[in-house]
Amino acid sequence: MAAITYIDAINRTLHEEMRRDDTTFLIGEDTGIYGGVFKATRGLLEAFGPERVIDSPISESLIAGMTVGAAMVGCRPLPEIQFADFISPAFDQIVQQLARYRWRTNGTYAMPVTIRCPWGGGVGGGVFHSQSNEAWFMNVPGLVMVAPSTVRDAAGLLRAAIRSDDPVLYWEHKKLYRSIKDDLPEGEEIVTEIGRAHVAREGGDVTAITFGYLLHETLKAAEALSGDGIEVEVIDLRTLLPLDTPTILESVSKTGKAVVIHEAPKVGGIGGEIAAILAEECFWELDAPVRRLTGFNTSFPAAKTMEDYYMPNAGEIAAALRATAET
Amino acid sequence: MAEKKTKGKKKTATAEAVTESAAESQETGRTTGEGAAPTGEAKEDFQALQRRREDLALDVTRAFPDKYRISGEMEGCSDAAKIDLLERLVRTRTFDARMRRLFRQGRFEGTYYSQIGQEACDVVIAAQLEKTDFVGPSHRDLGASVGKGIPLTALAAQVYNRVDSPDGGRYTACHYWHPEYWVMQPSTSIMMNWIAATGAAFGFKMLKKKGVAVAFGGDGATAHGDFHEGCNFAGVHRLPIVYIIQNNLWAESLPLSLTTALTDLAHRADAYGFPGVTIDGNDVISVWNTTRKALQRARGGDGPTLIEMKTYRWFGHSDIDPADYRSEDEVEDWTERDPLPRYVAWLMENEVLDEERLEGIRQAIRQEVEQAVEFAEASARPEPEAFLSEVFVHEYPGFDVRAGR
Repeated sequence: MAAITYIDAINRTLHEEMRRDDTTFLIGEDTGIYGGVFKATRGLLEAFGPERVIDSPISESLIAGMTVGAAMVGCRPLPEIQFADFISPAFDQIVQQLARYRWRTNGTYAMPVTIRCPWGGGVGGGVFHSQSNEAWFMNVPGLVMVAPSTVRDAAGLLRAAIRSDDPVLYWEHKKLYRSIKDDLPEGEEIVTEIGRAHVAREGGDVTAITFGYLLHETLKAAEALSGDGIEVEVIDLRTLLPLDTPTILESVSKTGKAVVIHEAPKVGGIGGEIAAILAEECFWELDAPVRRLTGFNTSFPAAKTMEDYYMPNAGEIAAALRATAET
Repeated sequence: MAEKKTKGKKKTATAEAVTESAAESQETGRTTGEGAAPTGEAKEDFQALQRRREDLALDVTRAFPDKYRISGEMEGCSDAAKIDLLERLVRTRTFDARMRRLFRQGRFEGTYYSQIGQEACDVVIAAQLEKTDFVGPSHRDLGASVGKGIPLTALAAQVYNRVDSPDGGRYTACHYWHPEYWVMQPSTSIMMNWIAATGAAFGFKMLKKKGVAVAFGGDGATAHGDFHEGCNFAGVHRLPIVYIIQNNLWAESLPLSLTTALTDLAHRADAYGFPGVTIDGNDVISVWNTTRKALQRARGGDGPTLIEMKTYRWFGHSDIDPADYRSEDEVEDWTERDPLPRYVAWLMENEVLDEERLEGIRQAIRQEVEQAVEFAEASARPEPEAFLSEVFVHEYPGFDVRAGR
């Protein structure tokens, strides 16, 4: 069995799910003939034809918004936003229409739409190709957000998202596309339950809460600290919205200490929401202030020197975890 | 303290309005509009002007200048269909005028968006659609809903935000829709319906379902990026859709000249590779023939059509807007171009309709409207907590709709 990459897992799952359900269609920029700028959608046009694999004009509002009407008449749309950074023209359609349509219509319609968003830094892309902009959507009722950190979850969360009847933003991390591999048996229908975080590493001293590429840096940091007798429990969020509050609370109630780690700027980030939940729900179990290790409160820089400095790394994460553990 | 005083004053004003409207409502039951003599406009107060204009709108047999007489033949339209169309037009207008008065009486909350003057633009095409064809209306398309056959009871309940509204009162008054009739719920944010209808047309084509989509927008909406994104995509994929622009010359308070340097908005279609047509949207014959052809094109796989209909909204953007940015002369001219008397006159000249039949239609519709109002007023107000559901289809362990309380 050959190991496959994160992006292979996405591509394979798209093939499998489009084969399984002929009401699915893919729409995005350069997704058809070109197979996607990252090749996540390669082979789909050949397999399913131009009726179901649409090379969209540069029209993000259309890409996101047309799915509402298409879903109403019976489609299961799979739009792609080429880079998550380009989602802002689609914001109105996603936030005001797609996410709210079920609520607005008193439950008449489901919006089974999965919007794939390649996100994240560490790929030398500069500010329009590196952002971690999931927090823009945290305040939107009716929207689901998942962010796989492993090859297995790339497949499992994508399948779950496609089969879900709620609108899902699927955040696929660009730096993970080809940097991690796993053995996924062909034909195994991997489904990762949406709404559940995963305890990626067990430990009793401090809880690290993260997702995406930084899960891997955090696991490295946890291994390093283990040698010094600090056992870190690492939570891979998997679903960003709605957050799996029970799993987070269970872990932090056990360790009494928490560090949230993400790429996005600190102000208004997911870390703030998690810290607030901890303050409200398990204040009396906390043995130290909740710490947030995040990107800087700036835009994302281009030059490698600056980019490397912007991205939190295993060393910084270890230092933050140690500081909290030793508080 | 100062604030309290203001509040008190407001209350008095409202009370006066209610008293005034109570009389107004009594009068409405027997209003046929004949008694609406336009005297001393200059001195008329806002309320009186509104009432006078509503009476005028309900007088569908009134005289108008010869230059606005309509002629020709409605292709493929039987006499029965012509009468049916008239009924839908009168139903739309009667309901609209009634709702305006009820709003001024404070009988429902929010605001009211009157369509009076523009009915032909959406009633005529909606009446030609199959039930499963898709309609993407704007917030001023009562006629799309009435034209497609949605019962007035459901529409009135929507105006009143009551439990019998299709959305149970949780969405927004006057944003008419109905799932069984495939009229989608309009978004208050302009042009979302345009994009959604384009998506529905795409869905019909991809799923190889029969069906066309019709999207409605105003002149102001053509400045929105979604107008372009929708039309452009529909052109590329030759989608089964008809785009209707109701050019009523004003985008809320913005004159057309500040929306676009174009005079005829149908030219915009040139940029998308499909036909664009400009017509008199207040000429029922022209609207019928043009929309019929556009629907045939859509059904036949020939792709989209953009139809610009020149028309006019008689009242403000909403009923709290006095629309004093427009000149009285302009409004007067357009009230003479009212689509209803022009159509009625043509039907009578062609002996499809006579006074007696018209009176029968009007009486039946007045009754239907009153029944709809009674239905809405008898319909319960939603339970305060009724909106705390249907956020998601599925359950999630961390989601608590009440987490903040």
